[in-house]
Amino acid sequence: MEHQRCYIYEPPQIEERAPKRQRTSKYNPHAQLPERLQTCRRLWSQQEERIQAKADSTVQQNIVDFVSSAASATPDEPKFAIPTGLIIAGPSIASHGLFFGRLGQRIRDDTNSAYVVLTSGESPNLKSVLKNLIKKVTSLHEDDDDEDTDRPATSSRHGPKLLNYDLGRVQEWRKKSRVSSIVVAFQDSEAFDARLLADVVDLFHSWLDRLPLILLFGIATSAESFEDRLSGNSLRYLEGEKFDVTQSDDIIEKLFSATVASTDARLHIGPNLCRRMLDRQKDHVQNVQDFCDGLKYAYMSHFYASIPSIVLLDSTQPIEVQTEAYEAVRILPSFRQQIEDMLEDQQAAEVRDLLQSDDRLSDLISDSIKTNQHSLSTLSHAARVLSSVRASLQMSPNVRFSTIWTRAATGDMAGSPILRETMLSVKKIPSDRFVKLLVDMTGLQGDYLSVDLDTFQRELDTLVQRNDTATPLRTQHDVRNDSLRTTVVAQKVLLSKHKAALSEQDKAYSDLVGRFHDELDAYFESAFIDPQTLVLSEVSIYDLKSPHTEVFQPRPRFAIERALATPHDYLGCECCSGVDGAEAALNATKPATAIVYQMYLESGALLNVSDLWSAFNAIAGDGDEDGESKTMALFQRALAELKYLGLLKPSRKKTDHVSKTMWKGL
Amino acid sequence: MVGTKRRREDGDIEEGTPRKLRAHLAVEPTEDTDTSDAQTPSRRGRTQHLAENGTPRSILKKSGLINGVNGTTPRSNRKLLFETPTKSVKADTPNGTPTIVRNADRSARRKSNRRILERTLNGDESHEEVLEEEDELAEQILGEGEVAGLEAAAEEAQDAVPIPETPSKRGRGRPKGSGKAGRPKKERSPTPPTELPSHEEYFYQNRPGGTKTSNQTLSAQTLLNHDEYFQAMQSYEDTHAPEIAFLLELHSRAYDQWIFELEEGFNVCLYGYGSKRIVTEKFTHRLYTHLLARPPSKGSKKAPKIVVINGYAAGTTIKDVLTTIASACIPANIKMPNQLASLLDFILDHLTSNPPQHPIPVILNSIDSPYLRRNPIPTMLARLAAHPAINLVCTADTPSFPLLWDVGLKTQYKFLFHDATTFAPYDAEIDVVESVNELLGRSGRRIGGRDGVAFVLRSLPENARDLFHMLVKEQLALSSIDGGAEEDDTPATPRNKKVTQTKTIAPESNQGVEYRVLYHMATQQFVCQSEVAFRTLLKEFHDHQMIESRKDGMGTERLWVPFRQEELEGLAEDLENKAL
Repeated sequence: MEHQRCYIYEPPQIEERAPKRQRTSKYNPHAQLPERLQTCRRLWSQQEERIQAKADSTVQQNIVDFVSSAASATPDEPKFAIPTGLIIAGPSIASHGLFFGRLGQRIRDDTNSAYVVLTSGESPNLKSVLKNLIKKVTSLHEDDDDEDTDRPATSSRHGPKLLNYDLGRVQEWRKKSRVSSIVVAFQDSEAFDARLLADVVDLFHSWLDRLPLILLFGIATSAESFEDRLSGNSLRYLEGEKFDVTQSDDIIEKLFSATVASTDARLHIGPNLCRRMLDRQKDHVQNVQDFCDGLKYAYMSHFYASIPSIVLLDSTQPIEVQTEAYEAVRILPSFRQQIEDMLEDQQAAEVRDLLQSDDRLSDLISDSIKTNQHSLSTLSHAARVLSSVRASLQMSPNVRFSTIWTRAATGDMAGSPILRETMLSVKKIPSDRFVKLLVDMTGLQGDYLSVDLDTFQRELDTLVQRNDTATPLRTQHDVRNDSLRTTVVAQKVLLSKHKAALSEQDKAYSDLVGRFHDELDAYFESAFIDPQTLVLSEVSIYDLKSPHTEVFQPRPRFAIERALATPHDYLGCECCSGVDGAEAALNATKPATAIVYQMYLESGALLNVSDLWSAFNAIAGDGDEDGESKTMALFQRALAELKYLGLLKPSRKKTDHVSKTMWKGL
Repeated sequence: MVGTKRRREDGDIEEGTPRKLRAHLAVEPTEDTDTSDAQTPSRRGRTQHLAENGTPRSILKKSGLINGVNGTTPRSNRKLLFETPTKSVKADTPNGTPTIVRNADRSARRKSNRRILERTLNGDESHEEVLEEEDELAEQILGEGEVAGLEAAAEEAQDAVPIPETPSKRGRGRPKGSGKAGRPKKERSPTPPTELPSHEEYFYQNRPGGTKTSNQTLSAQTLLNHDEYFQAMQSYEDTHAPEIAFLLELHSRAYDQWIFELEEGFNVCLYGYGSKRIVTEKFTHRLYTHLLARPPSKGSKKAPKIVVINGYAAGTTIKDVLTTIASACIPANIKMPNQLASLLDFILDHLTSNPPQHPIPVILNSIDSPYLRRNPIPTMLARLAAHPAINLVCTADTPSFPLLWDVGLKTQYKFLFHDATTFAPYDAEIDVVESVNELLGRSGRRIGGRDGVAFVLRSLPENARDLFHMLVKEQLALSSIDGGAEEDDTPATPRNKKVTQTKTIAPESNQGVEYRVLYHMATQQFVCQSEVAFRTLLKEFHDHQMIESRKDGMGTERLWVPFRQEELEGLAEDLENKAL
């Protein structure tokens, strides 16, 4: 089977029963795995709905509107230019394919149009563009798969057969299918040859009286540079409209607040993992799909690997939690901390209960999961409130919500400069801003915001109405109420700050703002807790970087180099470990490839295989003539493996030399 | 003897004389006359020389600098004008001998230095014995100074609190380049510096002229052929077998996890050193039993279909892949399109419209094999993998495989990567003997060397033999042209010639004879009349692997005989003599 190219797997015929794996310990890592996975899928599907809702729907709606209006506006009047949508999709080409896929789905669903995506890869010249276009358009509804259509068929019932790059085919097809328009999307317009684009535009324009074409160009740079690439003549045939797709940064931000920082999320993602994912987005991929995958994988890892995660299931359908889960809960650090705290409080009886009775523990679990849920949601909400306050006050620097949330989730938001600074600005807020702030905050009112905005709103309204001056009310902390007074006493200048006398209204306003400030401060104080201190935080929060990083950002080269340079790391054998943990560089017991690799590392850019062989023979050979062929076989295998891995390549500079192509650690 | 010395001193301006010193003092009358050390330029010259050489002495001076500045009397201010401060420092070093003694020492040393120099320069025979004695003395003095200097340096090093990093490495020994006087000049040591950071190592190993390798070659008998190799391998037992088995067992614990990941719509990619075929094989079996217990196959006779593709197998094409997948998911009675792109579309459409009850698992060994690298294969595979009804499990062997895919493809693949290092030999993936021969440019060994070629040629018609002869001659001529440029500046012995000629080369792509050229030659010499006939002749050679062809950078096809120079020459001789 191993040398066959492709086959359908068939299990070996005589299937000797593998000895049943017996678990020597009672601990079962897969306890209640199906239930946990079910929970995972349930929770993830909720998240997925939120993601779907947040995805770039508005722009797509705009484009769909544009397409339908272009299609319906003038059904059969002669048009002078092709309606063209310039879609500025941003530089992250990874998401373009998905975007155009979704867009096509919507266009097909919402309008009576045919939709075709052309990519630069499949369109080297005009002929293949047309062939592709025709194939895609016509096969949307029927599969007529004539081979060798390159040749004009001599005749058929309906007169001469058309060539397979003749747009006449589309025309014929349209007669049957009655679509109102044909949307042609060029996914990566930058990668198309400029002349090809010009040709396509010319040709399409000449067919415009027969085919209702609409063009969409995906643009990664800017509409201006797109225009520059086309000649004025071609541009005259186009009637463009520009659509800005939301940049992936903003989408990620939206998704982040909808998923990670959602108050409804049952499993929360920890700050470290979040920071990692966000950094990766910023630095490497810029890809919405990737972000979602990362999130999903975090959910999967949590439920797959952690037995106590079973308790996160909604209480609506009670599941019998097995004893394994309770045992697992009892060894959680946060649980132990809790027990120690209780012991210090002299609650020995309760501690005994918790340690012995599963029922008692079950109560504690459900209680703490509920409190955790509430506190974490409050935390997320407070982060959102803080972000919105900063936005309303137009404070700089502009800190993203994700950053605020991550800091809050790390537990170092309380007393941080960013919070203090924000609260100081709240103190100084003039009344016109205050009105706006309250309006902005009304949307955030709810279970997780304890400040009663309505009272403030009402009081503020009355104050503002009574204010007869044109200027807004100011608080006593406003800088404009401060004045500096200079006095000269005994030839020394004294600077002293003085509060200007406040009017009655200002005083009342100051009082109001003061109360608002205090309440908000108290709210933040109570909301920004350190999530790590919560009991059973390990269950409610997933914050492990270990499988996540390796799975999404593998370092295959490092892994291979490590395996070859220090095989002990993987094999864990006693023979190769060297002395005192220090790896012996050259050791006869190492795998042959590792020995050759070690010599490879030490040599220059060009290796003499003959010398390499004598060195190898000196190390790994057993000295006698008979063993030499075995050693040689190992040596040849090692060389072949290094070549296979791409570390060596033949060199023609000298006979029997090979050249080195990779340097370790670069 | 004294005379010679005087003469030299007079002649040598650099080496200051006492008179010179006086002159200097005259220039600077304010100078305190009892200056402990004579500020002769010669002294300075020597110290500078020493500093350059970097004997331990100079370390002493440098480290004592601060100390000295503090200790000097105000007059040092003045001195600074025309001497290096390091001078006075030495006089005041706490551990030093009293200055006068030291001075005497030093002048003695200077004299002896000079004497030795003189002797080596003039080689005055007449005063042999006297010189002998004096030289001994001189050397003794020098040696003493050296030792004292070393000791001082050692003490100093102990005193100085922050020891710079380098000395620890170098130890007490003399630094590089200082050993001129002592030992005979040695060749640069061939042992490379160890523990360099990786980028430094790259530049070190790639420094111009840095790679000096010996000219030894492997004798033809050393390398094993297939039979010998397999014979040797059969008797070989890996000492690490238990550890390798343990690694496999570790990986097998992750099978359930991988199945879960596949079910969640991800694809899995395994990487790491060692053949991962065993892992995928076992995993396939596990997956098979898993699917067997699932609804579509449960209770019925229908076996789940798992597609296995061995990407490393020579000549694997995307067409094979697609048809196998199609056979797994599309009923046999449906006619499928022939063209690749439409076949792919067809499969994907079919999977979308009739989704199978469970996604079809595709196990792909070596996704980065050379057969699957070329466009548009990765794109097509990515489209396949992106479909929800396909589960792709693949392995990648090379260390840099992620470079095969751009961001877009990567998104489509939706891979989760797992390290599956096995240390298992790549038995199926590599033809060891063949690839080593190729690595060493000896693929000609394949047909049994010169004798094999002779055997083949004997059974071919006359014109085929002529054509081969032509090719061999042309190739030899070409390589001698390449080598010729080098030979001009290195008049080499005949033995050496073969080696040097290879030095110049000549990008690899320029090896061999251009197809067109050979064809024209063949037609001119009436070996063949048409290109078709020419091709037929070449095909015979190709079949016996007597020639190889490749496209060079410009896209022109080149043919060559895969033998080494000596063998080629032998071949040409045989052909010339019509010995074949």
